[in-house]
Amino acid sequence: MSVRLVVRTFSELCITAGALIILFVVYFLFWTGVKAADAAEGEIDALQSQWAREPVAPAPPPASPEASPSKSPDPVPYRAGKPFATMHIPRFGADWEWPVLENTAVGTLKKGLGHYSATARPGDTGNFAVAGHRRTYGDPFKDFPRLRPGDAVVVNDGTTWFTYRVAKKPHRTVPTDTAVVDPVPRGSGFEGAGRYLTLTTCEPEWGSSHRLIAWAHLDATRPVGDGRPPELTD
Amino acid sequence: MYGWIWRHLPGNAWVRGVISLVLVLAVVYALFQYVFPWAEPLLPFGDVTVDGESAGGAGADQ
Repeated sequence: MSVRLVVRTFSELCITAGALIILFVVYFLFWTGVKAADAAEGEIDALQSQWAREPVAPAPPPASPEASPSKSPDPVPYRAGKPFATMHIPRFGADWEWPVLENTAVGTLKKGLGHYSATARPGDTGNFAVAGHRRTYGDPFKDFPRLRPGDAVVVNDGTTWFTYRVAKKPHRTVPTDTAVVDPVPRGSGFEGAGRYLTLTTCEPEWGSSHRLIAWAHLDATRPVGDGRPPELTD
Repeated sequence: MYGWIWRHLPGNAWVRGVISLVLVLAVVYALFQYVFPWAEPLLPFGDVTVDGESAGGAGADQ
């Protein structure tokens, strides 16, 4: 075995390792986004054909979200990993639309946003909490820190457009701080029961040491029959 | 290593070139389809929930 052979093999291994790392970066930054965009589109299509097939649950009273404490007494439970709503955040772009899927499993979050199963449904009293990727898998919450008080977060569950308003600038916390998705989220400044929404993502952008949280409260509802809410048509 | 593979491929230079290309594509496909999806949860970028679990952990109440 000559020195030449050893040196050559070592060089080839180094080149191979380098190529592997570059390929992984391509996969991570680019390919996950392609896959997520494809999956999210598929989920939204599935949702819309499902809504077209079967009219979803009775619509809640369109006027005054504060009026009735609870709508339908026993709604059909969401199926794990399946989409049940779409979310629009005009601050992130006019065409920013992602499906909201039930549960926050790793596989679910590859296809869209994930609803914390234990939290309220959109429009209900309590806290409708949703998690999403900040980076990779389509970067849905890439612009999360740009959210400002008053920004609209619009959710469509097939019967109703729910327009939530962000209450304050995103809040930074630790991953174990589960109180941020409580019915009355701790640290949000909200007092007493209400119809809230919580968004969570990772912080810093490429890390996982902390979480970034945004809270919103229900501002308006609108039956889907009346068309898109003004926040989305400007 | 690569020289050894090249020497053991059949055919002339053109055939070997085509076979090499197919082999490279097959390796890339296997990486993207199987290896990287497995390796990816080992990195921390997917932790976006507040359940206090680490990467690969399930959501709030699975």
